[in-house]
Amino acid sequence: MSIKLGHADLAKYPFLDEASVYIRETRFTIDELDRPEMDHIVNRAVNMLETEVSFGKVYSSLEKYEVEILRFLVSLLIVKSLDLEPITKKHSLFEAIRAEKFLTDDLVREKSIQKKKLLLHKIFQDLFKIEIDVSSDTNLLRLGISDYLIRATKMNEQEWKLINRSVNSGYVYLDPDEAVRLIRSELSNMIYERIKNMKINVMPSKIKICAMNLRKKFSLHTAYRNQSLVSEYPPCIKHAIQLMNKGENLPHSARLMLATYMLALGKKIDEIVSMFQNAPDYNEKITRYQVEHLAGKKGSRIIYSVPSCKKLLTEDLCFATTECKNIINPVQFGRNNGINL
Amino acid sequence: MLNIMFLKDLYRRYYFSNSNSISVPSGIEKHEFGYMHFDYTMVRHISFSNRGELIARLVKETPLDVFCSNASYKFPTNSLESKGWEGADLIFDLDLKDLNMTCTLEHSYYVCNQCSACYKNFVTICSICSERNISCNSIPCSKCINALRDETKQLIELLKVDFGISDKNIEVYFSGNAGFHVHVIDSPFNDLDPIARSEIVDYLAGNGLLPESIGVRKSKNDFHIKFPKSGITFGWRKRITADLRINPLTISKFAKIVESVGGYDKFKEELARRAQDLGVLVDPQVTRDIHRVFRLAGTINGKSSLIKVKSMDLETFKPFESACVLEDDPVYVRSKIVLKLSLKGKYFKIKNSIERLPAYAAAYLISMRLADIVR
Repeated sequence: MSIKLGHADLAKYPFLDEASVYIRETRFTIDELDRPEMDHIVNRAVNMLETEVSFGKVYSSLEKYEVEILRFLVSLLIVKSLDLEPITKKHSLFEAIRAEKFLTDDLVREKSIQKKKLLLHKIFQDLFKIEIDVSSDTNLLRLGISDYLIRATKMNEQEWKLINRSVNSGYVYLDPDEAVRLIRSELSNMIYERIKNMKINVMPSKIKICAMNLRKKFSLHTAYRNQSLVSEYPPCIKHAIQLMNKGENLPHSARLMLATYMLALGKKIDEIVSMFQNAPDYNEKITRYQVEHLAGKKGSRIIYSVPSCKKLLTEDLCFATTECKNIINPVQFGRNNGINL
Repeated sequence: MLNIMFLKDLYRRYYFSNSNSISVPSGIEKHEFGYMHFDYTMVRHISFSNRGELIARLVKETPLDVFCSNASYKFPTNSLESKGWEGADLIFDLDLKDLNMTCTLEHSYYVCNQCSACYKNFVTICSICSERNISCNSIPCSKCINALRDETKQLIELLKVDFGISDKNIEVYFSGNAGFHVHVIDSPFNDLDPIARSEIVDYLAGNGLLPESIGVRKSKNDFHIKFPKSGITFGWRKRITADLRINPLTISKFAKIVESVGGYDKFKEELARRAQDLGVLVDPQVTRDIHRVFRLAGTINGKSSLIKVKSMDLETFKPFESACVLEDDPVYVRSKIVLKLSLKGKYFKIKNSIERLPAYAAAYLISMRLADIVR
């Protein structure tokens, strides 16, 4: 490919190899972060983490590449130093969503087809081995059915079913935002692995202090509120709570199961909302609306039932044990064990 | 016992003399094989390092049925958890019983699983031994085979047009009984897990099509039409819009169609019905399973004594001729029922009596449990 990624692109995609090369070329070392002129970058990383963890929002502002490349590195260092699993998961996901927004914009607005192809190549092919192409006249992206299915089957919304896609000659045709959404999880995992695999001999003192301060601020967001004894729940619910505990990103169907089950138990909306605090993409306002919606207090006013065991089985959410014998809905679990649900 | 001895002799001679008919997968050593003895005991998790070894085992053991995995493994003889799965061909099973043919009753026979008594009409209890365990055996007629052929052609069309699979990677087989198997070999789909394979089955069957994907969106006033940015020119979008006779220039006509069926929700139901009519009925369990063993092509199907045979040209393929490969020396059978049968291009009118038949026809009737050998 004759054209190359510019430094401005690296500000948006600081996880690319080119960004690491840039840092190496500048002979930057992390102990330089203790210098006062680095305060702006460090503060920016702190702001980003606060926006993500305290407000559940993606940090969308973008500065010049010299700042953003180092900001990315500093964010990872702070998260590494914090060493809190839910924060590591949350930051990885939000960093991925941030890149997703930039990439979608670039693919929609960029006029040069060569530049679009280059971006796609760098992110889809180099990072995730996905062959993808863009059509010059329709701006649609096409990728192989197999590559599509591997990722789309992780999504629960019916719109991602292959039948609801434009499919021809072995390819699926997608809008830029849809194609980019497909790799969110992989991008998030890649950033997560980078944090996990970082080997830092001596963490700069400025990073340690930032991490210490953030730890205090984030303590409310990382302490899991154990509302009930997990052992009383059916295995499907127990499994979802355990994943939530670890800060895993539960699929939509699992969240619906968990919320409707807790509503069926008669738990208060506040209690249920707080159960989702460990979700990496937790946003209190959105979660509250969704739980209230399921409870029939918002939107359609329909009170949603707990999905049946059969439905959960098809969604790979069933982890039946012998104690589940003869039940057809999780709410029936334990009725014979003297547990009143 | 006489029936088993007769069949076993025939099968052994077939495997001894016609081993060229048996097609083995490339990389035979990576596949799991299995076979069923005449006493219905199953042997699994075995492998062969070459074709000769396999044939020798078939001649020696003379099994009732022979199976081979669609998957390749690092260690095919290990237990499932430690086999080291390396990918599996995508296989579709089209079964006659799923087509709900109206003629099925005309050529179905009911056999008591206790005393082997046979009935032409449906029974719930055997009048001879009072057993309630009754099997239904059907001899597919030409209408049935043509329906299977049409369904298979439709599947192949979808695989070629939508999935971009070329002819050379698609193999069609008659199962030897009442179905066709379509194998997609060495494709990019070999690495897919069961969930992704289920998604392909849903696609083929027309399951889960949303009105939004062809432009009918739910709104405050029930619905509005806005075609998706990625167009309606491909895949199910094209198929359904062609069925509804609409295109991007006929939005008002489209809105009228949706209104005429009763709005968004009713249109969604109508769409599901149309998609299922246009879809292909394949057995979802078979395609989803990445560790299944399938009947090996060229081996005998114990339910019929016909072989699983490859179709070279689906249009002219005559399964009850190509799959009938056993000897034609005459033998005597005592038929349990009156029926008509066409095998190897010959027509047989079977009376409820002792009949002199070629060995292949006798074997077919005995395997279907509609006759017994007479010595």
